[in-house]
Amino acid sequence: MEPLHHFQVHKFVDFSLLGIDLSVSNSVLWMWIAAGLAFLFFTYGLRNTKQVPGRMQSLVELGYLFILDMVDDIIGKKDGRKFFPYIFSLFYFILFCNLSGLIPGSFTVTSQIIVTGTFAAIIVGFALLFGFYNHGIHYFKFFVPTGVPVLLMPLMVPIEIISFLARPVSLSVRLFANMTAGHTMLAVMFFYVVTLPIFGAWLPFGFTVVFTGVEIFIGFIQAYIFTILTCVYINDAIHLH
Amino acid sequence: MISVAHAAAEEHAKSAGMPQFEPSMFEHQIVWSVISFLILLHLLKKHVLPAINDLLDARAKKIEEDLDSAKLARKQAEKSQTDLNNQLASARQMASETMDQARVDAARHREQAVEELNAELAKKKNAALLEIEAAKKKALAEVQATVVDLTMLATEKLIAKSVTKSSASSMVEEALKEIKGSDASLH
Amino acid sequence: MDSSAAALIGMGLAAAGFAGSGIGLGTLFGKAIEAIARQPGAESQVSKYIWIGMAFVEAVALYGLVVVFIIMGKG
Repeated sequence: MEPLHHFQVHKFVDFSLLGIDLSVSNSVLWMWIAAGLAFLFFTYGLRNTKQVPGRMQSLVELGYLFILDMVDDIIGKKDGRKFFPYIFSLFYFILFCNLSGLIPGSFTVTSQIIVTGTFAAIIVGFALLFGFYNHGIHYFKFFVPTGVPVLLMPLMVPIEIISFLARPVSLSVRLFANMTAGHTMLAVMFFYVVTLPIFGAWLPFGFTVVFTGVEIFIGFIQAYIFTILTCVYINDAIHLH
Repeated sequence: MISVAHAAAEEHAKSAGMPQFEPSMFEHQIVWSVISFLILLHLLKKHVLPAINDLLDARAKKIEEDLDSAKLARKQAEKSQTDLNNQLASARQMASETMDQARVDAARHREQAVEELNAELAKKKNAALLEIEAAKKKALAEVQATVVDLTMLATEKLIAKSVTKSSASSMVEEALKEIKGSDASLH
Repeated sequence: MDSSAAALIGMGLAAAGFAGSGIGLGTLFGKAIEAIARQPGAESQVSKYIWIGMAFVEAVALYGLVVVFIIMGKG
């Protein structure tokens, strides 16, 4: 039994340019497919727009307003709008990576910690730089909790710094672990479906059917959480607490 | 042999661990995930977001316009309603005036008719009375004539039939007395 | 003790950490249901936060699972 086998990255084309590894692997291929699906979803929904929307158009508008409301809620209408395209793309990239991983035989891009880690590092690094850009040296106040006695400061400031540094780790590991765990669970259950005799195999098979539905839900939730935390981090960089 | 076994063991260890922690696979995934994301961002920003934005803006504008026109239509409707109410009130007033007029006219007509009738009745009554009077006079005259005729006839018969000596003498005497009486009354 | 045996024990111990996630889920849903029972009008608002909170709590268990997998690779 090799439940982690389907997370193995295989390079199809070994290729590097100017010392940068630009190989194409199954992970990269499914990144493209997910991005393409996301783009297709929107262009298909908007192929002939009408004043009274059809089903796909309603879905597209709903998806747009969902992210717009989230950004407006958390960052604010004034400051948030300029980040909206980035957050929108981030959500749909992750969502389609999560969902396309559920296609049998496909590869789950977001189950690679290096992919989620890249996004998390960029987001938190950007939030940090943006905070310093907005507030200058005052941004260090972010690490000093308010309403805490001065005596406790030597304890509280390192905790705040550590919790800030834990942000990219928790952000990336949350998504990666959710995807990995769900797919590993499915793999284990499929292993039992294949190996058990027919009178016992229906039980894990039924479980996989149910759990695939749960995985779709988790794919949505995790993309949402990833995006909402991105909004929260950017908001922290704009509005010091 | 040893190196082969070692390689096999290493291969086994690799497959048993998490494939996600294989550092040789990191670099291209970092690069490509950033590139893929940027491409998707560019595509969405260029083609999708403005389209949805325009769509929603157009709808918001349309709804606003519809609301405005609805407000206008409502104002117009209210105006026409008041007009209608005014018309209705004036029509009602006119109707009641006409009704009053008609009532007055009817009363006058009735009175006139009653008067005319009364006058006619009085005229007829007078005519009837005159007629009755005339008939009475005529009847009286007829009766008188008949009585005179009868008296003359009776007198003739009486005179002719039953004038005796004694009665004639008494009658003469009587007549003489009458004449004397009238003389006496003359003197 | 063999190192692979130690690894197996470690994996089991890491799985014990899921108990914390279980406590968290119980508290989360219990409190959420209580809140909805007190304030049925706020159900949509509360249920939105339930799912977000559930994802956070579940992630803690999955951190443990990641540790298990890492040990599995080392063992």
